Amino acid sequence: MTTSPSARRIGMARIATAMVVLAIGCTGVAGAQSPPPAAAGRNISGAWEPLRGGPGAPPPTPPSPITLKAPYAAEWQARRSAQDEATRKGEPLATGGSQCIPYGVPTMMSIANYPVEILQTPAQVTIITEAFSEVRRVYLDRPQLKIDEVPPGYYGRSVGKWDGDTLVVDTIGIAPKVAGYQSLPHSNQLRVTERIRLTGPDVLQDQVTLDDPVVLEKPVTYTLAYKRLPNYEMVEFVCDNNREFTDDNGVVRMKVLEK
Amino acid sequence: MRSPCMYSSRRLLIAAAVLLLGTPLAAHHSFAMFDSVNKATITGTVTRFDWTNPHVFIELDVAGTNGEVKHWSVELGSPSILQRSGWKFSDVKPGQKVTAIVNPLRDGRPGGMLYRLTLADGSMRGNGGPPPADPAAR
Repeated sequence: MTTSPSARRIGMARIATAMVVLAIGCTGVAGAQSPPPAAAGRNISGAWEPLRGGPGAPPPTPPSPITLKAPYAAEWQARRSAQDEATRKGEPLATGGSQCIPYGVPTMMSIANYPVEILQTPAQVTIITEAFSEVRRVYLDRPQLKIDEVPPGYYGRSVGKWDGDTLVVDTIGIAPKVAGYQSLPHSNQLRVTERIRLTGPDVLQDQVTLDDPVVLEKPVTYTLAYKRLPNYEMVEFVCDNNREFTDDNGVVRMKVLEK
Repeated sequence: MRSPCMYSSRRLLIAAAVLLLGTPLAAHHSFAMFDSVNKATITGTVTRFDWTNPHVFIELDVAGTNGEVKHWSVELGSPSILQRSGWKFSDVKPGQKVTAIVNPLRDGRPGGMLYRLTLADGSMRGNGGPPPADPAAR
């Protein structure tokens, strides 16, 4: 019987995975109960850069309409208008990002042109962003907790499972202070559902759905795309020289040195 | 040594600046503090080069026509953005003479966002992309 190169690679990957699982099992760490990735479509490890149009980009998927409940709708519009007006005057308002505060889930998944690195093991998918070196961990095949059982934070608690070749990630426990998509407010009831899949050998898609029964009239869905960066080495990003400061009017300004 | 001179340009800001200005997605900070139309050309001596996050900075002493030295702070993209466009952390060193074309701060202080840098050996660097062409004069 002959074996194709791809089958040999998958076979080797399974052997390697099995060795890792055995090694983990020897240390007493749980995680051996999850099966290894079973198909090439389930291997999303690697470095990925945002893909917004151009060759190989999937057709743009328009985001769903955003409808907020009162009083959040008026507050959101007022805040956006104030930001727009400040920007027109050349005095943009400070944001968490301008103060080097982490973006958290889900905004961290798309920061300018910075790559994300995905590390996949049988029991966990780890996502590390280059911008601000943020880390989120998706625990595979574990039950999700109730929202009020998760301490609110920037990354919350993520669990995932494979649905065919799509990794479905459920995240709860995102603190209201954490920056939202399009500056949307959210409550501690926010639930983020992501459907992550390869749409080509080197193109990854992340369909993000935000559901917040306190703030949103109906869930908001938008889609991110990424292009594979072969052999890319992630660049260190420690925000230790932030020259952007916030003045007394809440405007972000650049510090100019005297010499 | 040339004194700061102003250009105008209808060209869009390049590379990272364009990416960050033109996208509704998150970025470290808005670039609205910089004049996206006018540019200043400054030639001077590097006093400090910070290859740091969230931005790289070049500090320059620039002599004016009256001989008075004015200090400028020039902001660039991040090391990641620059490295992917061919920059090296060792490209600029204190003591080097360089010429920077910048989009200056709109509030008038001596600072700006780099448009293009010319090193002493004549080589050029962009700010997250290939070195852009000369800005069109007004």
